Amino acid sequence: MVAQTTLVTRFRSLAEHPAVVTTFFLLPFLALFVGFRVWPTVHAVVLSFQDIEGVGSSEWTGLGNYQALAQDPQFYKALSNSALYAMGTLVLLIVIPFTLAAILHSGRVKNSHAFRTLLFLPVLTSLVVVGVVFQLILSPDGLVNAALSAFGLPKLAWLESEYLALPALLILATWRWVGLNILYFTTGLANIPQELYDAAAVDGASGFRRFLHISLPLSKPIILFVMVLTLINGFQLFVEPFILWTGGESPGGGGLSIVVLLYRTAFTSFDLGYAAAIGVVLALIIMVISVIQLRLFGFFKKE
Amino acid sequence: MTSQPRRGAAQPYRSGVNRREFLGLGAGLGAAALLGGCSGSGGDSSGGGELTFWTFVDDHATFMKSQAKEFNKTTKGPKVTVKASVYDYDQMHDKLLTALQSGVGAPDVVDIEIAKFGTFTRGEIQLHDLTKLVDKHRKNLVETRLAPYQFNGKQYGLDYHLGAFVMYYNTDVLREANVDPDNIETWDDFIAAGKTVKKKTGKWMTTVEAQNRLVHLALMLQNGGGIYDKNNKLILDSQANVDALQLAADMVHKHEIATSAPGGGQSEPPFYKAFNAGKFACHWYPQWQMIRFPDFMPDTKGKLLVRPLPTFSAGGAVSTMGGGTGTAITKHIDEEKVDVAMDFLEFAKITYDAQVKIWTELGFDPYREDVYDDPALSKPDPWFSNEPVMKNLEKMFDRLTPEYTGPRYPEAVQLINETVAFNIVKKGASVSDELSSAVETVERKS
Repeated sequence: MVAQTTLVTRFRSLAEHPAVVTTFFLLPFLALFVGFRVWPTVHAVVLSFQDIEGVGSSEWTGLGNYQALAQDPQFYKALSNSALYAMGTLVLLIVIPFTLAAILHSGRVKNSHAFRTLLFLPVLTSLVVVGVVFQLILSPDGLVNAALSAFGLPKLAWLESEYLALPALLILATWRWVGLNILYFTTGLANIPQELYDAAAVDGASGFRRFLHISLPLSKPIILFVMVLTLINGFQLFVEPFILWTGGESPGGGGLSIVVLLYRTAFTSFDLGYAAAIGVVLALIIMVISVIQLRLFGFFKKE
Repeated sequence: MTSQPRRGAAQPYRSGVNRREFLGLGAGLGAAALLGGCSGSGGDSSGGGELTFWTFVDDHATFMKSQAKEFNKTTKGPKVTVKASVYDYDQMHDKLLTALQSGVGAPDVVDIEIAKFGTFTRGEIQLHDLTKLVDKHRKNLVETRLAPYQFNGKQYGLDYHLGAFVMYYNTDVLREANVDPDNIETWDDFIAAGKTVKKKTGKWMTTVEAQNRLVHLALMLQNGGGIYDKNNKLILDSQANVDALQLAADMVHKHEIATSAPGGGQSEPPFYKAFNAGKFACHWYPQWQMIRFPDFMPDTKGKLLVRPLPTFSAGGAVSTMGGGTGTAITKHIDEEKVDVAMDFLEFAKITYDAQVKIWTELGFDPYREDVYDDPALSKPDPWFSNEPVMKNLEKMFDRLTPEYTGPRYPEAVQLINETVAFNIVKKGASVSDELSSAVETVERKS
């Protein structure tokens, strides 16, 4: 009887211990995180040292896959395409959404919430629909060419040219992601104290000057956040070429991205080891670039 | 990665136990197998029941389901129901690969497209050997249509159609140019006719695909080349292929009788629109293009003439085959369903009646020669100038070049689709350079 009571009390005091409680409530997340993030990542790294072809055959090859990758011209082509695309999105998906967010935030736009919602809609649209619609928009008689000829510019074969493949992808990316980035930026702008704007206005600063000297510098953290996110997404380019061209087979390989190459290596060549190696290298590239970016913006500096 | 757990209670075929021994293994196993076998259509004897079937074509699903009903009417053995799932092309093949690799969730019967088939013959092949089904009908089947789904002498898939390449002439345009298609025998004649068409009507004779392989692969195969030869040797950069692709390139750049197909290929909506509007005198594509005219090119009704391809030399091959889909039985099927699945597949696809239905229900050209005498295939077709198109097709059978696929066929196809066709058609690149660089890339993968 006595022993039982002590057991219950002990259990109770244990259950009230903060560390136990935290662990208990974190467990579901941790289980999912380990099961669906950590384990696949570790598994991919392990796979990348193996030569796997089809079901049931695997052999350790050490760095074999990485050596082959270093000499693979297709990989370099994909890398350069992905890098160019990422740089393109970095410009388009920061400048356009930030400008639009500042305009929406300035209070000069009526129904700015309605605009924000409208601009956000593309993010929610089904990708299959987006693919079909953009094949039409970018077709020879499509919307983009109609806009070009309205300005007296020649029509372009957006989906049938090696050199227009990346621009076509950027048009799609801009349409799709501007709304989301506007959301990030308006949230950031909303956190800037109104007093600063009021004080500047009293000092006679114009709207543009207020944007330049208050909105822009004080939005640095959110801009940095969106930049890193955009860059990571840019390097992970996959769905866009996949829906614009059947199976991602872009004209002359102009839209061949690293992830498209990875996908093909796994799902066409059934070469899971080599595909895993591509994935690992891509992760390293993204990691290095993100760290450089954060350093350049002084993210690691102690304030 | 080494051991593959499978659906069902046991892995009898792996441990070398045959079906009868397996059924005698014990009450527990037997009951489990029986429960599995009875799901779906209730009351069937052991071994029948539901077959899961994945495809990427709606009509294939309808066809297989209706064939299951026919099968049940005549069979003395267990009956089947087909539970079909239709997915998007890439999605279905990706799902299948993941299912086979992980050992979970693969269907019993599955459609694998010709350009993807090679992927599934790597490592331990997860498909059942169908050779004995084919053996029963071999004397009637067009042997060369079986080749793409063979690996190490075993048959792993059965196609729906022959997919013979033909030339679709628009008689309106030809009449305007005063060109008689029946006088076109060789590709040289074709080019001469093309120049007349161009001069008199200002229209293009034909189109060449810049983002698809089929138009090019047709010429390569017709000229005795292709991606692989019958000994599984990669022959992508052979002289026959160089000459064939040079012909396509010359039509565009030298003779200026062809333009690149709008939208990149002859299966694309912009092409349909242009061909429907009579902008081209003809194009060459497999027989299955015929089913697309009513839906996508309705104004061509009564104006089309189907003819063999012009030859490279007098008396040479007049056609070859393009595209295809092999239906296979996966090794993940419950062991006791294998026999009935085999019987059903044979009934549904390669018996006489099935092959007649391939034409009457799916609109495809059968690859069983004896059905071409059937009245259903001899009817004149108003869309195609009132000619019995299928009857005419049969005359080409002894002048048809085969297509062999090999282990890296999927990668080679992807390269032709993406770079080779594009570079020679759009950029005027050297054919032999493009083919040798393609071979280099394919070999890097092996």
